[in-house]
Amino acid sequence: MHEAASPLSRTPAVSARSRVLPLLLVATPVLLALWLVIWPAAEAVILTFLVPGEGGTEVWSTANYARFFGDSYSVNNFTNTLWTTAVTTTILLVIGLPLAIYLRFAKGQLPATVQSLVMFPMFVPSIIVAYAFIRTLGPNGTVDIFLHAVGLPRMRTPYLTPWGPVIGLVWDGLPLTVLLLLSGLGNVTRPAVDAARDVGAGWLAILVYIILPRMRSSLLVTLSFNVLGIFSSFTLPYLLGPAAPEMMGPFMQRTFGDLQDVGMARTQAVITFAVCLLFGALYVWSIAKGRTKSAAGGKS
Amino acid sequence: MNRREFLVAGAIAGLAASTRLASAAVRFDMYTDSDANISDFWSNVIKPAFEASNADVDLNVVIARTGGGTTTVVERALAALASKTDPQLDFIEEFDPLSVKGAVEAGLWTDLSKAGLQNYGKLNKDAIQTVWSLPYRGSQVLLAYDTTKLPKDKVPKTFADLVAWIKANPGEFIYNRPDKGGSGGNFVRRAIHEANGRDPGVFKIDNYKKGESDELLAKGFAILNDIAPSLYDKGSYTAGNSASLQLLAQGAVTMIPLWSDMALQAIAKGVLPETTGLVQLSDLALCGGFSAAVVPVNAANHAVAVKLADFLLSADIQTKIITDLGGFPAVNWSELPADLQAKYADVIPASIPTFPGGDWDAAINDGWYRTVAPSLSRS
Repeated sequence: MHEAASPLSRTPAVSARSRVLPLLLVATPVLLALWLVIWPAAEAVILTFLVPGEGGTEVWSTANYARFFGDSYSVNNFTNTLWTTAVTTTILLVIGLPLAIYLRFAKGQLPATVQSLVMFPMFVPSIIVAYAFIRTLGPNGTVDIFLHAVGLPRMRTPYLTPWGPVIGLVWDGLPLTVLLLLSGLGNVTRPAVDAARDVGAGWLAILVYIILPRMRSSLLVTLSFNVLGIFSSFTLPYLLGPAAPEMMGPFMQRTFGDLQDVGMARTQAVITFAVCLLFGALYVWSIAKGRTKSAAGGKS
Repeated sequence: MNRREFLVAGAIAGLAASTRLASAAVRFDMYTDSDANISDFWSNVIKPAFEASNADVDLNVVIARTGGGTTTVVERALAALASKTDPQLDFIEEFDPLSVKGAVEAGLWTDLSKAGLQNYGKLNKDAIQTVWSLPYRGSQVLLAYDTTKLPKDKVPKTFADLVAWIKANPGEFIYNRPDKGGSGGNFVRRAIHEANGRDPGVFKIDNYKKGESDELLAKGFAILNDIAPSLYDKGSYTAGNSASLQLLAQGAVTMIPLWSDMALQAIAKGVLPETTGLVQLSDLALCGGFSAAVVPVNAANHAVAVKLADFLLSADIQTKIITDLGGFPAVNWSELPADLQAKYADVIPASIPTFPGGDWDAAINDGWYRTVAPSLSRS
């Protein structure tokens, strides 16, 4: 009797546990994120709208934001960050996409070598990249010496100009870009490409009608990851960029650590956060869309 | 003997050895929150040398880094003074005795001018800030230049000459952003001194007044804006002391402001070539400073602390501060070997002006970023 009853009585208990366990597992990171990210971020957003009023009270006001957007120096830093992010992301996609397509479809030993070369920057810390950059592309660096040796004029070095961080960030961001695009290209099957080619489609047509439509969500993910990384980058703009305009990362650090203007640093952080939030939302949206699509595909 | 027994026996032997050592020597607690090169210098040079002549002392170098670590220790010593207990602190190699409120009034610090130090009279008078702090190593910003492009006899010696030289040789000078390293920071401060009658006394730790003081700074920024188009790349500024040093090493510029200890270390290590010249302005030197060692009166090993203070000023250690650390001696150069004097004749400071921190720092840095840094012509 016991033998017969126990498996039956145990079944609901097991399924209850199997329902609770994943929730418990996910609870730790969710609680950590709430405590260490969501809560401080929400607090920062609220505090930027509170300014000291009369008699030690605090009043709701947008004065901090008026100060930021009314200050041409801060606005220049903000637009410089937008510019750097846009240019770097564009260059990354322009270089990364052909590379990823090549790595996806080429055969033989060479693509493996190319792939390991592409991944190489991932293992180099950005402080090393910055100093290597100065020695190579900086004034009287390796490139200059080479140009001089073959009788060409010296190049205008990008070091300490807005292009310095762009070049550094492209180098730094290439591995992730190619990896993400490569995973998206996994959706593009060789038979689809071959079929298109059989009916006479050229490379451009294959790219526009076969490859890109299947990579839309992967492109969105690449875009948002790069924007998030570049917008908040610190080391490369700090070491390679001009003194002014600054990017938001070094600017925030300086406002907070050097000027000890916590209120303004917080405002800058919230503005940076707002821009990143847009692209974060884009990422979540494209992931969620991919999920529902694959779930729907599974049923049909 | 199995593994467990072996471990137990080892632990007992180790414990016995450590207690024997501890009982043989007096543990002397010295603190430092300076950079790694300084704490290394204490562990590798001063500790063995001092212990060699004081066999009963175990010099315990406590690294209280991440800035301000020693302040807490001093607050503890101040509390211990009131409760007449052991502060567990005998010596700090660099601490401003005025920075902890009430410490001087409570009589926490030993008056080192009356502590019977044999070498006290050898001290460079310019280096002494208070009687409670003992200067033992210094560093100052000076100008480092490439003697292959700028002969020693043509090098500018005054600020006016320097400005004239920068304008006559566009693209050959660069200094770093004032908040990113003291070499550029003190160059900016030297320009502010220049614009205000070369009188460092105008700027005091507590006399910054918003608006009125900013006008004094603005006059200095005007000088810097004036030279900006003649700087490297028509007004670029590196992000730190070592980034400027690298441009000089690569031959991209002819002259930079540089910390004396960094310059001497870089030349010794071959980072900068032997042909690097060093010069200090003679009308008013660039800012610098001396570290100040302090001894609390309630130190458990007070006599050893005084002995150590005296030891730091000995010719032997002062020479090592130049040769091993690349710093300045705190004693008069005449107390040191003649060949050293000759070698460093160009960097021996006639005066060591200082610039106060506090509110001035933020005002200078932000003022510079807003008025000097953006005036970059990319045409």
